[in-house]
Amino acid sequence: MILNGVEIRDTFAEAFPMVGTRLIVTADTPEWALIAGRTTTGFATSVIGCGCEAGIERTLTPEETPDRRPGVSLLIFAMDFKQLKKVVPLRLGQCVLTCPTTACYAGIETGKRVPLAKTIRYFADGHQISKKIGDKRFWRLPVMEGEFVCDEDTGSVEGVGGGNFLILARSRGQALRAAEAAVAAMGKVEGIILPFPGGVVRSGSKVGSKYKGLFASTNDAYCPTLRGTVPSHLPAEVGSVLEIVIDGVSFAAVAEATKVGISAVCALGSEGGVVAIDAGNYGGTLGPFHFKLREIMQNGAGETA
Amino acid sequence: MSGVSLKPRAPFEARVDLSGLTPSVTRPLSLRELEHLAVPHGGRSVKLAELFFVEGAPDGVLLIEIGDPRLDGVGAGMSEGELIVDGQVGAFAGRGMSGGFLRVSGDAGDFLGAEMSGGRIELAGHAGARAGAAGSGSRRGLSGGVLRIGGNAGPRAAERQRGGLITIGGDAGEGLATGMIAGTVSVGGAIGRLAGRGMKRGTIFTHAVPELPAGFIDTGSHELVALRLLARRVPELKDMLKGWTHARRIVGDTLMGGQGEVLAGV
Repeated sequence: MILNGVEIRDTFAEAFPMVGTRLIVTADTPEWALIAGRTTTGFATSVIGCGCEAGIERTLTPEETPDRRPGVSLLIFAMDFKQLKKVVPLRLGQCVLTCPTTACYAGIETGKRVPLAKTIRYFADGHQISKKIGDKRFWRLPVMEGEFVCDEDTGSVEGVGGGNFLILARSRGQALRAAEAAVAAMGKVEGIILPFPGGVVRSGSKVGSKYKGLFASTNDAYCPTLRGTVPSHLPAEVGSVLEIVIDGVSFAAVAEATKVGISAVCALGSEGGVVAIDAGNYGGTLGPFHFKLREIMQNGAGETA
Repeated sequence: MSGVSLKPRAPFEARVDLSGLTPSVTRPLSLRELEHLAVPHGGRSVKLAELFFVEGAPDGVLLIEIGDPRLDGVGAGMSEGELIVDGQVGAFAGRGMSGGFLRVSGDAGDFLGAEMSGGRIELAGHAGARAGAAGSGSRRGLSGGVLRIGGNAGPRAAERQRGGLITIGGDAGEGLATGMIAGTVSVGGAIGRLAGRGMKRGTIFTHAVPELPAGFIDTGSHELVALRLLARRVPELKDMLKGWTHARRIVGDTLMGGQGEVLAGV
């Protein structure tokens, strides 16, 4: 399949199950909401080294938030529910509670409950106040700045982690511009995050290593500087490869994001220096979710050259 | 109409206890069985049909077409369905309710919604003493659900309230929320003296700071995000908290070790 001069390789992205939750963080200004969101989702690029993967799903207008202030929607994913219950209160306590003017609310109502104020309310040392309205309880914690308002807990979903595609371009600059275009377009898709820096990975990995104890190592088949020295997937004209990794609340959300992202890259086309779109997989042995690039792109993805 | 309607045959000669007449009781009955249902009337027990014209089909909705202040226990113990009263009700209406919806267009006697744990009561008129409070011999008042009083509430409303929400559109009598344990009460009008005495936790919303017992401490005026949240999440408080961004927070009853609060809109 060729879209606007870009080859869509006949392969698939292999993804795995994750457990995730959504937090709604509000603040007095959009800037402080964003600061809280970025801090809370910092150092959360990969479960391998960070314990979770997290990102800002989107910004929220005051009309969309529980307290009518500007906010951000955050998604946090972990490999299992036990780990999710551990990392969410940690990040809430260190990054949201501490951030001026913020409040934190449940972003998902269904599924197993992930503790929020249920855990961190003890910071208030007995001065915490709860209100239960209907089935929903929230807490008010006195802090030096005033009060921190936080829901008791939030729901969770069984999501998908590790959706991905690779942008093979002629140069580093062209690969980066294509990746930026993809990230900008994918930011409009609900229910997904791109957990890596700026949504982009420059150091994609393969499973395993020649060194004991390392679970992952550089994806040498896609390293341009190793072409010819290892079995390579890169044609001669490719000078740089960047990867977009996608975590989402459902298979459909990740598939939609994949389609939107690849479409944005293909809109730049071969004239923009994009040679091909590939995806990372491990022969189907890693995860049950397979995002077949050509199937995803078949409908309305652009012109076929 | 759907459901069953009850229309008094004549003015009641004595007080009538309707506490056994709830939708969950009447739903499985035929109309004939319902007519033969025994209800206490004064010192004796009479058939329901001796007091009321009974019409319709039992389906979870009960309508009392002409209310009367001598009808006690209307909706008491309700757990489901809907009970509508066109007019007044006597004492103990909605007492111990755990679910369902009781709507009264007139006034209510004492102990309206006392000890209720769920469901919803909407009273258009005034309530007597101890609305949403603990009943005699009981240690806990309203612990869940919503009790809305359109008019004034008599003395000791919300006494020993344990949770849930009480809204009073008019004035609240003396001793509001005495010994309150938790929950929320809002008062649109004036609040009588000695409100919150012995209060442990819970919140009283008011437009003006009332005369409070000595154990209350004024912490000053504060900008509270919780006000915005409550105005958005709780429809019953939307009008009360409209435009509130700040509130004076008065904490008590500290003489009893309490951490309850009176929040007065600024």
